[in-house]
Amino acid sequence: MNASKQVIRFLLNERLVELDFRDHPELKPTTTVLNYLRSLPFHKGVKEGCAEGDCGACTVVIAENQNRKLVYKTVDSCLVFLPMLHGKQLITVEHLANGNELHPVQQAMVDQNGSQCGYCTPGIVMSLFGLYKNQHQPSSEVIKDALTGNLCRCTGYRPIADAASGACVFHGVDKFSTAETETLKSLDSLNIHKTHIEIHTSTQHYYKPFTLTDALEFRRKHPDALITGGSTDVALRQTKKKELLEKIIDISDVDDLKTMEEHKDTFRIGAGVNMERLLHFSASRLPALYKMLKIFGSLQIRNLATIGGNIGSASPIGDTLPLLMAYKANLKLQSITGVRFCRIEDFITGYRTTDLKTDEMITEIVISKPPANRIIRSYKVSRRKDLDISTVSAGFSLLTVNGNVDDIVLAFGGMAAQPARATKTELFLKGKPWAEDTVFEAMEKLYHEFTPLSDARAHADYRCLVARNLLLKFFEDSKGLSL
Amino acid sequence: MKTENLKHDSAIKHVTGQSVYVNDMDVSPLQLTGRVVYSPVAHGLIKSIDFSEALKVKGVAAIISAGDIPGANQMGLVIHDEPCLAEKEVVFIGQAILLIAAETEEIAIKAERLIRIEIEELDAILSLREAIQKEQLIAPPRYIVNGNADEALKKSPFTFEGELETGAQEHWYLETQSALAVPGEGNEMLVYASSQNPAETQAIVAEILGLAKNEVDVEVRRMGGAFGGKETQANHVAAWAALLANTTKRPVKIHLFRDDDQKITGKRHRFLSKYSIGFDENGKILAYKVELNSDAGSSTDLSRAILERAMFHAENAYYIPDISITGKVFRTNFPSNTAFRGFGGPQGMAVIENAIDRIARFLKMDATEVRKLNFYGIGESNQTPYGKLVENNRLHVMSDRLIESSGFYALRKEINSFNQENKYQKRGLALTPIKFGISFTTAFLNQAGALVNIYQDGTVQVNHGGTEMGQGLYTKILGVAASELGVSPEFVKVTATNTSKIPNTSATAASSGSDLNGMAVKNAIDTLKERLVPVAKAELAKAGVTDVHHGNICFKDNRIYIDSYSDVSIAFGDLIQSAYLNQVSLSSTGFYKTPGIYFDRETGKGNPFYYYAYGMAVSEVQVDVLTGEYKLLRTDILHDVGDSLNEDIDIGQIEGGFIQGVGWVTTEEIRWDIKGRLLTHSPDTYKIPTINEIPLVFNVDLLRDYPNEGTIRKSKAVGEPPFMLAFSVWLAIKDAISAVGHHEFEPDFSLPATAEVVLMSIEKMKMEKVG
Repeated sequence: MNASKQVIRFLLNERLVELDFRDHPELKPTTTVLNYLRSLPFHKGVKEGCAEGDCGACTVVIAENQNRKLVYKTVDSCLVFLPMLHGKQLITVEHLANGNELHPVQQAMVDQNGSQCGYCTPGIVMSLFGLYKNQHQPSSEVIKDALTGNLCRCTGYRPIADAASGACVFHGVDKFSTAETETLKSLDSLNIHKTHIEIHTSTQHYYKPFTLTDALEFRRKHPDALITGGSTDVALRQTKKKELLEKIIDISDVDDLKTMEEHKDTFRIGAGVNMERLLHFSASRLPALYKMLKIFGSLQIRNLATIGGNIGSASPIGDTLPLLMAYKANLKLQSITGVRFCRIEDFITGYRTTDLKTDEMITEIVISKPPANRIIRSYKVSRRKDLDISTVSAGFSLLTVNGNVDDIVLAFGGMAAQPARATKTELFLKGKPWAEDTVFEAMEKLYHEFTPLSDARAHADYRCLVARNLLLKFFEDSKGLSL
Repeated sequence: MKTENLKHDSAIKHVTGQSVYVNDMDVSPLQLTGRVVYSPVAHGLIKSIDFSEALKVKGVAAIISAGDIPGANQMGLVIHDEPCLAEKEVVFIGQAILLIAAETEEIAIKAERLIRIEIEELDAILSLREAIQKEQLIAPPRYIVNGNADEALKKSPFTFEGELETGAQEHWYLETQSALAVPGEGNEMLVYASSQNPAETQAIVAEILGLAKNEVDVEVRRMGGAFGGKETQANHVAAWAALLANTTKRPVKIHLFRDDDQKITGKRHRFLSKYSIGFDENGKILAYKVELNSDAGSSTDLSRAILERAMFHAENAYYIPDISITGKVFRTNFPSNTAFRGFGGPQGMAVIENAIDRIARFLKMDATEVRKLNFYGIGESNQTPYGKLVENNRLHVMSDRLIESSGFYALRKEINSFNQENKYQKRGLALTPIKFGISFTTAFLNQAGALVNIYQDGTVQVNHGGTEMGQGLYTKILGVAASELGVSPEFVKVTATNTSKIPNTSATAASSGSDLNGMAVKNAIDTLKERLVPVAKAELAKAGVTDVHHGNICFKDNRIYIDSYSDVSIAFGDLIQSAYLNQVSLSSTGFYKTPGIYFDRETGKGNPFYYYAYGMAVSEVQVDVLTGEYKLLRTDILHDVGDSLNEDIDIGQIEGGFIQGVGWVTTEEIRWDIKGRLLTHSPDTYKIPTINEIPLVFNVDLLRDYPNEGTIRKSKAVGEPPFMLAFSVWLAIKDAISAVGHHEFEPDFSLPATAEVVLMSIEKMKMEKVG
């Protein structure tokens, strides 16, 4: 086996693929898995519908060894760079059937009339396969969540949901479970030389560390390189804007960044934790975050996107930022020479700009456990509830003493060039009774506090009204809670 | 042979990734990628074009402009107002100026970036209101009039005037526009297209290349969705690919990138409609005067036919004695708007449905009562504004059944009490009907052809002029052919639609695919059976049937027998062998034309439809008063498909059409900036329904035991009508908004009712209440 740092190795279904980019001028290290597959003979089942992770026609499943178990994840292959497959198994729609015997999810799609034009179908089948491997007798909510990232323009989805509930009744047993031991063995052999990967072509440099130390070292040496965790944002620069990404540090397989810990007073979340894992972690621990993540992108996106990436991209409409402001989260910023902590509010300095130094990386998000009497809520208003970017998002936090506002954070996304707190309204409310009269007064202040943009998603006035009304919603939600 | 529950003929290929779409086809290592370079301004004069640097890029095979077109630089169908490549003037953002053929997409993009096009910007018309104000009519106004609406309005106890905007809609077929053109020997050109109208694609390609039609073949196996978006505009991509293939003499494939597809291609027509309506204290509509104004975009395309269908559906399911319908279509500097499921019908119906809702609120009646009161009558009050009588009216039986099955009145009560108890969440309910005319309103288009071949092994190949876009046409045709021949479906194959097999076909559109092509296939099979009967009789006589002339010959269960001697039969395969040996032709064409369709555009009278399809829906929604967001809680649908050709496929069309309609009336908003640039050019900002947008409770049923006489196996068309069932969702949202003002105020409303529209309406109502 070729142990060169220029070579990536993965299983394409059952076949070992060793890719040395020096031998394949037609491929780039940033070639997406979608385009790679479609360049191969007999692998055109996977479809491009949008090249931005919004339609799911390109959904594939990636299987990885986690503690001697294969874990199956659906992802949008249009967002995944080839080296991200290193050491993993890529499963495509062509490989699900066992000879002439359809996989249970395929059979269910046929039985339930789940396909019409058929163009979205391979992606839907792969999402169903992911569901099949991860869930037994899923609820309607779980089924819908697994399929949110797959647009279908023909069926109206009902038969697809029926196919899901009809198929997922065999505890995930199929030819893949039969072959699990064999597959694990194959994956082990791919991962023997777990050193970093460096791919250099005439136009691109792609660094793929597996340890934090290596990552920080690359960061120091190549301060101009883009850092990518899940590539759900970075990939769009290539697929949509047709940019050539010259230098990339791919931290998607740095395990040191994937820890989630609960301490006595804090939660410490690795920057490389993907949104899906964070969703499950937050369910019982950070309910406002859980609520926000439930409608974050789609399962395919959440399986890729990382919390560090969501923060680092510093988008004015990033879903988690206002909420992390409400949580008063701190960021651990690390370089090869040291560590510092930074309040999330201080970290974001403007429109998509941050305080990150050229040798630093976000390595951890630290959230203090809120006291029981602090109310924290998240809100997201968008044109479509799921898989949409927020028109207005909000993270609110309230602490009252004797019925008066002692501390309040009203943080918004979509209202300014960066996630921003309504400081004037907060100041107005401080010390006043948390009561309907004051809230109504504060709402008028809030209505005038921001001057947002009119854009493709909404007009400015709607944004101001929503921001204002969300305060009332927060007040209504706080009723009946012990303050 | 039961064929009513055949699975989609491509289902297994779909789920295993084996179904082939144009972009999946690589026919030669010489194949090139085509790319379209288009105008970045809405209106302007091309001052200069310089692609000399781009041509030097290694791997670029050709760059061509209007001057390189060998034939006519024209893609307009009826009206020739749409150049294939812009010459001097550009009239919309997205208009093609140059075409590039290159080894790879990446090379084509690299070349494109080196092209310099200088355009002098001119004033552009970027709103329908402005086009109306400046009288930019693309064609003379049209009228359909019955009685005297002005007089009747004056005499009506109550009248309203109003205006309604209905928005554009992007087709968002999953497969973007694609074509692969393969040059043959001499002038021959074969085009694999993703087109609803192969015959027209053939015509346009021939015209552009300056060839006779017999040099051009177009083949369509399947489309990855179309919805009307590939009725005419698929021709463009095919023409561009053919031009590049003709220039380079190499196969060229064009598959539009999603954002380019959204920017370049036309949408559902926006309408701005104005109306006056007169009614009495019971809610009986006495007079209706409506002006339907539509945005054609920069060229005619199908805009006139779409306007016509909007006018034919202006009164929807309601008898209005005095009615005046005016239709106007205006030119703007947007991509040319085009066919989209419903073809103007939804835009026409939206106005009357909204007006009825308003009447009910004014009279403090349940809108369902007002609707029922005004339904077309049975045997009376049944003449449409264009003179056709509404026969076989299903409205009354359907509303009775749906009101019963949905528990409509109990729901209404529940909702009222919910609304009393909740300040910031309101629920709404609506029942809406549809009556949709079936046929091409351009009478001569109602024709279809078929070619059925039986091979010596007893297998059957069916060719017809319809195209498969997911709607299940091939499956229905397969069912028809198998039933008519009495053979098992596995012996029948429906092949890719090809202009060399079936010439001069009409578009697969107007929901007419199975009506027309099913009958043409049946006609071909009838001919074959006529030829086979004498052979069968001879064989049966040999087998011992004494009187073969007594009784009827049956083709059933892969066997042929005489009903009075059913114990003696011959196998279908044996019959075919015998027919071959007896020198009987085993191939036949078939043809069908819909009888009795005509319409006089001058008088506005005629019989433009063969029959009507009916449907009805009840929807319940919940609106968040603080954000304007809403959730679809429940929908009950009852739909009329006559005797279904395939129930699973028909239900799929109903559910899918409904959800697509829900998108149009709710989240699918298209926005442009002041320069006419499309802001919602990708699924990032253009939001079609996901699985979470479907109703939490979703009951869909067919009206059974109401066969449709005179059509293929007594069925009805189903493609378009269910789209308009989504008005129930739209008006349920309005009902919920109305609940904020205790149903005392008429909400401001438009379509789509985005969360923004809903919240603004609620806020305005709150102000009115205070004021």
